[in-house]
Order: sequence, then C-alpha cells, then structure tokens
Amino acid sequence: MTGMAGPLIVQSDKTLLLEVDHELADECRKAIAPFAELERAPEHVHTYRVTPLALWNARAAGHDAEQVVDALITYSRYPVPHAMLVDVAETMARYGRLRLEKHPAWGLVLATSDRAVLEEVLRSKKVRPLLGERFSADAVAVHPSERGNIKQLLLKLGWPAEDLAGYVDGEHHPIELREEGWSLRPYQKEAADAFWNGGSGVVVLPCGAGKTIVGAAAMAHARATTLILVTNTVSAHQWKQELIRRTSLTEDEIGEYTGAKKEIRPVTIATYQVMTTRRQGTYRHLELFDARDWGLIVYDEVHLLPAPIFRMTADLQARRRVGLTATLVREDGREGDVFSLIGPKRYDAPWKEMENQGWIAPAECVEVRVTLSDEERLAYAMTEADERYRFCATTPSKLRVAEALVRRHADEQVLVIGQYIDQLDELGEHLDAPVIKGETRVRERERLFQAFRDKEIPVLVVSKVANFSIDLPEAAVAIQVSGTFGSRQEEAQRLGRVLRPKADGGGARFYSIVSRDTVDQDFAAHRQRFLAEQGYAYHIIDADDVGEEKQAK
Amino acid sequence: MERMKGREFTEWLRCRSDEQLRALVTARPELITPVPADIDGLAARASSPSALGRALDRLDRFTLCVLETLVVMRPGPADLRSLLARASYDTDGESGEPASSPASEPASGTASEPACETTSGTATGTARETTSGTVLETSLEAALEAALDRLRENALVYDRHPDADPDDGVVGVPLPAPGVAEALDPAAGLGPPAAEVFRHHPPEQIEAMLAAMSSGTRRGGNPRRNGSAPVERLTARLSDPATVARLVAEVSPQARAALDDLTWGPASGRLPNARREVTAATARTPIDQLLARGLLGATGEETVALPREVALFLRNGRLHRNLSPHPPEPAGAVRDLGLADRTAAGQAFTFTRAVEELCEWWSADPPGVLRAGGLAIRDLKRVTQTLDVPEWVAGLVVEVAHAAGLIADGDGEWLPTDAYDPWRIRSVEDQWAGLAAAWMGMDRVPGLIGERDERDRPLNALHPGLRRAGTGRVRAQVLRVLASAAPGVAPTVESVLARLAWERPRQRVARLDRIVELTLREAEHLGVTGLGALSAHGAALGAVRKPRRGAGKDRDRADERGKADKRNRGDKGDRRDGGGTAAELLAPLLPQPVDHVLLQADLTAVAPGPLTTGLQRQIALMADVESKGGATVYRFGEASIRRALDAGQSADELISALERHSATPVPQPLRYLVTDVARRHGRIRVGTASAYVRCDDPAVLDEVLADRRAALLRLRRLAPTVLASKTSRAALVDSLRAMGYSPMAESSDGDVLVTRADARRTVTPPSAFTSVAAGPEADQCDLVAAAVRAVRAGDEAHLARRHPAQAPEGEVPRSPSSTTIDALREAIREGSRVWIGYLDSQGHATSRILEPARVEGGYLTAYDETRATIHRFALSRITGITDIRS
Repeated sequence: MTGMAGPLIVQSDKTLLLEVDHELADECRKAIAPFAELERAPEHVHTYRVTPLALWNARAAGHDAEQVVDALITYSRYPVPHAMLVDVAETMARYGRLRLEKHPAWGLVLATSDRAVLEEVLRSKKVRPLLGERFSADAVAVHPSERGNIKQLLLKLGWPAEDLAGYVDGEHHPIELREEGWSLRPYQKEAADAFWNGGSGVVVLPCGAGKTIVGAAAMAHARATTLILVTNTVSAHQWKQELIRRTSLTEDEIGEYTGAKKEIRPVTIATYQVMTTRRQGTYRHLELFDARDWGLIVYDEVHLLPAPIFRMTADLQARRRVGLTATLVREDGREGDVFSLIGPKRYDAPWKEMENQGWIAPAECVEVRVTLSDEERLAYAMTEADERYRFCATTPSKLRVAEALVRRHADEQVLVIGQYIDQLDELGEHLDAPVIKGETRVRERERLFQAFRDKEIPVLVVSKVANFSIDLPEAAVAIQVSGTFGSRQEEAQRLGRVLRPKADGGGARFYSIVSRDTVDQDFAAHRQRFLAEQGYAYHIIDADDVGEEKQAK
Repeated sequence: MERMKGREFTEWLRCRSDEQLRALVTARPELITPVPADIDGLAARASSPSALGRALDRLDRFTLCVLETLVVMRPGPADLRSLLARASYDTDGESGEPASSPASEPASGTASEPACETTSGTATGTARETTSGTVLETSLEAALEAALDRLRENALVYDRHPDADPDDGVVGVPLPAPGVAEALDPAAGLGPPAAEVFRHHPPEQIEAMLAAMSSGTRRGGNPRRNGSAPVERLTARLSDPATVARLVAEVSPQARAALDDLTWGPASGRLPNARREVTAATARTPIDQLLARGLLGATGEETVALPREVALFLRNGRLHRNLSPHPPEPAGAVRDLGLADRTAAGQAFTFTRAVEELCEWWSADPPGVLRAGGLAIRDLKRVTQTLDVPEWVAGLVVEVAHAAGLIADGDGEWLPTDAYDPWRIRSVEDQWAGLAAAWMGMDRVPGLIGERDERDRPLNALHPGLRRAGTGRVRAQVLRVLASAAPGVAPTVESVLARLAWERPRQRVARLDRIVELTLREAEHLGVTGLGALSAHGAALGAVRKPRRGAGKDRDRADERGKADKRNRGDKGDRRDGGGTAAELLAPLLPQPVDHVLLQADLTAVAPGPLTTGLQRQIALMADVESKGGATVYRFGEASIRRALDAGQSADELISALERHSATPVPQPLRYLVTDVARRHGRIRVGTASAYVRCDDPAVLDEVLADRRAALLRLRRLAPTVLASKTSRAALVDSLRAMGYSPMAESSDGDVLVTRADARRTVTPPSAFTSVAAGPEADQCDLVAAAVRAVRAGDEAHLARRHPAQAPEGEVPRSPSSTTIDALREAIREGSRVWIGYLDSQGHATSRILEPARVEGGYLTAYDETRATIHRFALSRITGITDIRS
C-alpha cells in the first residue's frame, strides 16, 4: 500500500468494513474471506466479522496469525487497533494447542504441545470424565466414543482441538459422477475438493446453487457407502432422483429410510425425523448408524440439525462428514457445535456473487404493506399477546392482496407460502389452487409438484413443508403470507425456492405481505435482515399500489 | 568535628563561582524556596535532611555509589584509583571473572528490587568490558570524574581547602557534605559499626566474645591489659581482617551461609530472643555461633545486625557488588517504526474520539458527583457500555478528560466545562496533544479505579483518593526511558523498571512497578506508543530532553537512533514547544474528516472516516451507532427516526439532509421508513390538564368560553363538548358556580360526586422508636481501650512542657533540619520521650508522643505511645520536635 487508501476499515468491535466499489475490493475480499465471516453484503459496504470461530476456521484451513495480521494491515485504510492484532494472534494461537491423535499403543489420545493448556483443561470437571489415563506428561488417552464430546467441550473452554486422528475409510463402493449433458460448476468442484482436502466440514452455498450436486461430488471423492440425512421425505426422494441422474448409482443401490420405507443400501437416505423418533424413551433407529461401515455421512441443511442428531454425531467422529447449508445462521446459536461436531466451514460463496455469475436467478424482494381495516385494528388491539401474530399474519386483508399479486403474475408459475393452514385453505379456495400441507400424502405432493413443474398448475399454495429442498425450478414468483415469527433462515429458504436459474433466464420475485403497524411488521423486519444483509434489498410498497404498479409496467 | 566540617563546607560553598551556584540551585530548586538570607543559610539548608533527601533521590546509581563510597571510606581514599577499587567489586581488572553482566546479581541494599534483573546481558556493555583492562579503567576513571563533578555541582561533596590538614584525604578527592552521611544511613546496605552494635551489650558478654576471639590464639593476648573499655577492644578486634578471617573460618557452613545472606544487605535480620546469652562453647545453632563470636550482634529484643567491619571483610573490602557507569539498555521486541507510528496514531484518534463522545453524552445526561467526590461505579459502567471499551479504559478516558479540564464538578454533576467548546472545534491532532499533555502531567492514577484505599474505601473514578504524588514525574521518566531505547524497540516493563532503578535508585514511589506498568498500558491506549514503541508524536510530546549522563553511551545510541530522531525533530526542532510539534507529526497520520456517508438498503449508513462535526451530530440524531472504529456504522430504525422527528425535524428535512450528504442515492426502504414513521408521528397528542368541563350542549360551552371571567380558568376546547382546564376540579366548580352555572363534580369513573362534610383524620405517625439499651460487647472493649489511650496521650501532650528545638540559621521553622536529628539522637541516647508534629500520609498534621529508638535512612523508628505500636516516621515529614520532661 503505497500512499493509497485501502478498501478495508477495521472497527473496534472486530467487524471489517469493505468498500465494494474500491479497486482493491476483490483482492481484499479474497484475503480476508478465510478468517472473517461475511455478515452483511448490502450494496456499498460489506461487513465481515472476525470471530473466534472464524479465526479457528482459518487455522483449520492452514492460515496462520501472521497472514491474518498482514492482510488486515495491508488493506486497512486506517491504522489497525493494536488490541485487535493482539487478539487475533492470541485467539489463533489457541487452536491446535491440543490435538486429537492416533497413538500406536493408546489408540485415540489428546496430546498437547503446551503442557499448561492440558493442565488447565484437565482441571475442568466436565472434561476429566471423558479422558482415560494420562500416560505421559503431554498426552491423555481418550475413549474413542468421546471424540465428539471432547471436541465440543474443548471448544467451549476456548481451546479447540485439532482433530488429526483421521477417518475410517468405510466400506468401499464405486460412485462416479456422470457428467452427461451437464457438468460440475467450478464452485461446486471447489467446494467438494475443499471438503475432501479438509477431511470433514461444512459447505455453505445459497439456495438453488446445487448443494445436492456438491454432495454427489463429495460421494464420488469418497467412493464409499454413504449415509445421507435430510429434512423430510420429499427431500429424500429428490436426493434419490438427483443421485440417479447425476451419478453412476442405480436405483437399487440407493435406499430410503423414512417413515414409510426402511431400506438400508450402499447409499441410504434417512430423514432427521425418523432418526429422532423415540419410543419408550429410546431412539429406535440408532442402529442405522452402525448398519453399515459408512465411509461418508452427508448432512443436508445443517443449520436445522436437531439436537439429538448432534448427540448421535458426536459418536461418529471417525467417519467423514459433510454438512450442506445455505446459511450458518442458527436461530438456536449452536454454530459452535456445528464447528466442533461436523467440522469447520470449508467453502463459502456470497449469494450476490453467485447471482452475478448467473448460477442463481436474480431476485427482487418486495414487501407489501397491508393496512388493516378499522374493525381489524380494533380486534387486533384486543387480541391476547400470544395470539397477536397469528391474528395480524392471517388478516383477511392479506387475501385480497395475494389475489391481486397472483392476477398480476398470471402468466408465471407462482408459489404462495404460508404458516397457518386455515389461511392457506382459504387462499387455495380463493385462488382455485391446490394446497400442500403437512397432511397431504407424499404421493399427492409429488404429483402436484410435478404438475407445477410441467406448468399444468400455475399456482400452488404450500405450507412450511415446502420450505426446504423442494426443487421447483420454474417457480418464478413466491408470495409469502405468513411465517414462523421472525425466522431469518426461513425467509432465506423461501427465497431459495425461486432462485433456481430459469429456463428463460428471467428473474424471480419474492413478495412478503405484511400487516402495517403490527407485530407482523416487526417480525418481518427481523426476518428480512439476513437477506438484506446478503444484498437483497427489499422494496416496500403499499398494498394499494399493487395494481398501479402493474399498470406502470 | 562536625561543626568544623560545617564551617568548611560553608566556606567551600562561598568560594563557588556564581555560575556554579546557579547550577546548584537549578539542580536543587528547593534550596531557594524561599530564598535563604546568605551563604550560611544556603549551606544550612543544603545540609538539611529533607533537602539532602531530595538531592540524593535525583542521583543515578553510579553517582550514588560513588558518594556512598566516599561516606564509608574514613579516612578518605588516597587517590581516585583506590576510590574506584573500593567502590566496586567488578572493577577488579585482573579477576578472570568478566566484569561484564552489569548488575546481573542482586544489587546492594539501596537499590530497589527490580534492579536485580536488569539487562538481559549479552547485547549491552559486554563488548566494552572485554577490551583490555587499561581501556576499561580509563573509561571508568572518566566516568568517576564525571560523577564527582556532578556531586560537586549538587554540593553533595566539597573539597577541602588546600591549606587544610592533608591527613583526612587527598587533594582531588572530595569529602561528603555535612549531613550526607546521616541521610545515606545505612550507606551501601552496611550495618552499623561494631561500636554501635555492641554498645548496649553487658560488659560480661563482650568479655566472653573477646575470650572466644582469643581462644584460637595464644592465651596471653588478653586485651584486658590495655585498660580500655570492652566495646572499644571488641571494635578494634573486628577491624582487624585477620581476626575476622579466623573467626569466619571457625563457624559451621550453615553459619557461614547466614553471614553471606546478610553481607550485601539488608544487614539486619529478625531473631526471637536476640539478646540471648551464648558462648562459643554453648553455641548450638549456627546463629548462636555467630553471636558468640561477635560476628553478629543483637540490636534489639528481636533483631540482630551484621557489624559494618565484618561486612566489609566479607565484601572483600569493596562496597558495591557490581557497578556500571552505564545505565541498562531498555530491551524488548523490535517494531517497524512506520507501523508503530500508524498504530499509535490510530489509537490517538480513537482515544480523542472517546473523550469527545463522553463529553457530548455528559452534556445532555450528566452523572452526579458522589458525596465523597468521584463518579459512581454504576455511572462508570454506563461509560464502559456507551463507549464500548473495557472498564479501565473508561476510567482513563474520564480521568484524562478531567485532567485536561474538559469536565468538572458543576453543582453536584459532572459536566463539560466551558473549556470543552473551544477544545471541540480544534483539529483532532491538537485535541490529542492537549489530552496527552494533561495525561503526562496528572498526578492521578486511573489504573487504581475499582481498588480500595488504605482505609478500605473504594476508589472511584474522579475520586480525590486517586492522587498519588510523583506519578506525573514517573510518567515523564518512563517516556524518557522509552525515548532512550533504540528505534522501534518496545521495552518490556521489567527493562523500564531496571532502567529507572538505575537512574533513580533512591526514588521511593509507592508501588512503582505498578505505576510503570500502568503508564506503559495507558501510553499505548492514548497512542503515545504504538505496539509498545514510542511513536514520533509521542516522543515530541515528551519534549524529551535526553539525559546526557553516563558517558558516551547515550551519544552512540543517539547516532543509532539517527533516522528516527531526525523524523521526530523534523525541521521544526523546537523541542520546548512539544505539544505543537506532536500535533504536527500526528496530523498526517490521522484519518481525514469526511463530509458524506454511504446509505444502504439494509437501513445502515456508513461514514468511511470521522465525520465533520455538524454532519456527525445530524446523523447521530436520526440513526443509532452500530459499530465504531475508523469508520462509523449507523442504523436507521423507527426509534431513531422518531427521535429526529421529536427534535423538531420534518420528514422532508430528514430526507433532503440524507440526499445532500449521501454519496449514493437514498435507498427506497429508507425513504419509506422515514415517511412511514412521520405518518404516525404525533398522531396521538398528549397534554396535561387538571380538570375538564363537559356539556352535551356545545352552545353552553361557547357561552362559558366567551365569559370574560373564565379567562382565569385557562380553559381550552378539546372537542365541541369538552373543555380542559389547568385549574383544579374544586376551583373550577366554585368558579363556574360563581359565574351562575350549576356544575356537578365527576369522579374519575364518571360518577357524580356528592359533597358532604367528612370527619377529618390524619395519617398515623410511625410507631415511636424504642431504643434498645445495648450491653457492652466484647469487641467494644478494644474501642474503649483505644479511646482511653488517645485521651491519655492527648493529656500528656497538653501538660508537657515544650522546648521548641532551635531552628538553624536561615531555616524556615517548619522544615525539618539537622537539629531535628540531633534532638532525636539525644532522646535516643537518654531514652527520653519526645513530642513531634508529623504530617501523615494523607498530608494531615498530627502530633505524636514517641519514644525514639533509632534513626536511619531518613526514617525514625520509635514507639508511638499515641497508638501503642512501633512505627517508622519519615524524617522529612517531622514538622517540629519538643522534649517531654514529665
């Protein structure tokens, strides 16, 4: 940096501001991406945050503190606060002081290069029971089944262990990608390679960017029997079809382990729901994990991983694991568990960049504000606090706006998404469109989805069952009438439904209908934050303007 | 003898040239406050304990050691070379042991603890020392000459008149000034001479010791023959190295180890039942062996001391173990100079902004001043949160702002002063220079906030108790040490302390190590240093007049530093105007103020640098700060927009202000937010009224309003059928009746109130306080005893006949003088009690009744009858002394 002002501004709260229009912005982004989480990516200034997890992610990926400090100093426009540099060095130095290793005589061991650290963690009442004999001053035996738990605990103590104990290869099974009529996109290949080189970890890609294919590529790397955990049955079917289409696997090689079927095959797809079903206090399907010598475990939508799966995963630390997700944001704040149990983040690409490269459809987000009628306002004011959201989210005024929007996009494939079944049923009636909800049978769901894909049905009303992993490439418009309170990731997932690139290369529209001056509006603001931070600017219009805008168009 | 010495000293002083006298009073300004009447007065004051104490405190270690050697060597040294040989162990040229590693072993008793680990060795000095012995000695001799000159300049030594009796010294080797020996006591960590140690021993016991001494040699050598007192004979024996050598050789290895422990001071130790009777034959423990032979003597019931003669023998005739004329080099990590400067500048900017933010915030929402002074802990916590800094930084910000006169106690609240407004409009670099100078000079220690004082009261920020005298001086010294380090070196706390211990070995600052550590931490946070290395602007701020002492070494370093120095000085060179230069050096490193923000669709605004003040206020009004640092991130929200609207701005004004100052178009969601909030703003209006008038017939209310008598009722029409009034309901009812209407009062529920006369009652008073007679409890007994003791002491003081000690000529009566010591010495000798005036550590004048025990090192140890304990009293704080003859 010779006299030129850098693109980066380091803040005292450990956020980094990157001015995107700066000529060095790209270079700088590449330099800081390994150790800083992209937190917000609006149009002019992107915000990255340097967290301990991010720094340890960087360490896991082979970056050292000097590189981090160097990147900060090189690109920073103003002097970097000394405290920040010291903190970076200290935090990064904590990773890898403790290592999980294989020892010829003692099996799995916790070894250290810094005896004081080992002493410190050994004094922890929680850690001690997980460990066996301290056979040397610098190493303690670890029971193999505690590999995950100890990693979780050490992360909480601020001394994340580097897991060098390696993986079992698992049962060999030939899996090849069949790139016929399609090919692996560059970022998909990078993501799969980054995962494979790192051993285990999480790949973060926007909805619609083809995470399933990254999973398939990872399987092709592993060439071993694979257990795939997905959110629901429909998603399980889609994974199966996608794998048949993209890889050398045949239908016979892929089993489904769901509520309806219990097949165990070289590649088995199970739902979180089945895995977490308990009868008489015990998990009934735990044997699945031991049913075969799995060489790879794929976690779809890792941000939704339920707590019992975390516990089960703790026992699977010797197997390679790959997590797939669109966002590492967890509403429950368990990002640390994802880091310690699934693995560090191995790949990440900003949404807007993917959009610029054409891998996902450009989308326009619109918030439509509905004004409650006077009677509705009165009724709202009298509603009990815990019923308020439901009341304002399902207000009849929304029906009219939803209808107007559907009319306006009459020649496009429209998804109407909502939370409350009554509201959806009513909408289905008004719009004369089929409704897919929890009670809709799987076969019926798939028939409707297929009909939608084939453009036989222009409008589909769906409940939250369609939040995830439903592949509907032709959906160009989504209208959200209600949601799960302020869930940021739900909003992102729903937008993801319309982000698959369109056959005609057109853009997508995402409408969120919100009641003005109610808690609905507050929740909406919260929901939108993630997307706004990813660079999706919400345009706000009044319900009355819906018709006018059409004329203008 | 002493008197003669005093006259000699006065004459010597009289013979000094005017220039030399000027140098003297420049170096020791306390000698002329107030100006003494004549040279006699000057001489008297120069040899008074307090003045000497201050002068000695300013000496570096080498010079001090030279002075100590002069004091201890009686008769004086034959020439410089022997002085040198006597002064230090390490100057012993032929010794195979390299005379290097200056001060690598614990230093002698006078040096403070950190001197033990000074320079990590190899880099400094060694090369010089390994050169040939003659070069070494020549350079040492030069250093010695310089040290003597310095002592002469300070009138701590003087030269005998050429005509004087040459027995007591040589021309060229000066004598210590009167009072110096007492002020230095115990010099070089040596114990008292044998004559003093054994003075109170029973003659039988001394005879036993003499017998033990003789036992190894011929019997006939019984010194009883020469008829002198036993003590004198004992002293004579102990002064004979051969005898001591033999005695030391006799004792067991454990006893020898005990001697070695005492050799380099402190020369006394605690021992229960010290005045035990032992003989060489009955001695069982190693200590008994030493006591029996007079190698150790009891100086109190529970203390023993190593006689000076024995110590000198054990020290091999040298006074100081290691003595280097060169100060230890500050050592530490080496930083890139540019980077250090930039880091410091960043910190300087952050700190200045924090002070400004604090003042802005307190302008609107000032915290209260505690009754005991200071800022409540809760308020400091709020500063911590608002400024988003650790608590110690919050304390530092508040304290520096206070020291710079930007905030002060205004009628029980901490408010920005009128000095704040001119400060605020100055450039950041000037603001910083002001703050940094205030920090340098302040005698308060912000790092103590949150701790407790000696009376276990909490020390709050801005509390008067944070003052620690001498802190400002220490800060200046630390900055000088930093400046003396090689360019880019970030000295460790230890090396700074080692250097300070060398430069000011006698300086007694309570918890110096802590203050130095805090100073370094604060310097970093203020941006005086960057990455631990002194920045260019920090150096200019100190207006560092480099200490030119210690031979050529500094000059060498000055050359090494070359580049940095040139940069530091710039061409402005004028070191006296430190503040201005510092600001000029800082200015180019600071972020330039910007006059625009970047508005984004996620309802944030980013100011990519410090905003111009006007814009900053405007943005701060309509958005909340989300993150601070080089840039500021603001977030717009309903609440923040409402705040701007409340402040009287309209939606259009807000949007046009945003359009004007945004480098990018105003995003639609932001525009929408502003108009949406404005739409609802003020839709509901709230006011106060104390009563209302309602009437279903608006015409009647028209009538009421039109009535001139109604003007006093301050009625306001809220709706056609409702009037609001500021008068009370009862007054309103009465007035309306008077106007000829027949109103009815309504309750708050709308019911008609019926008036009737109620029987009146008052509130039940709280039940009468019943006092419980508390019986005397065990812990009260102590209290009673103390009270009685205090009454007795006060009584005695009142009845005592007072003999004010004679003030020396030309002396201010209040300042302690050598006569204080004389009076004390006399009291010790006679075992009598004295009544003294004393300034305690809080600076309060107190009076004590004492039984003095001994005077050494500027302190009086005495039994304090007022408090019934043994105490040490600083001689310099004794304001007056009176005998008590009961």
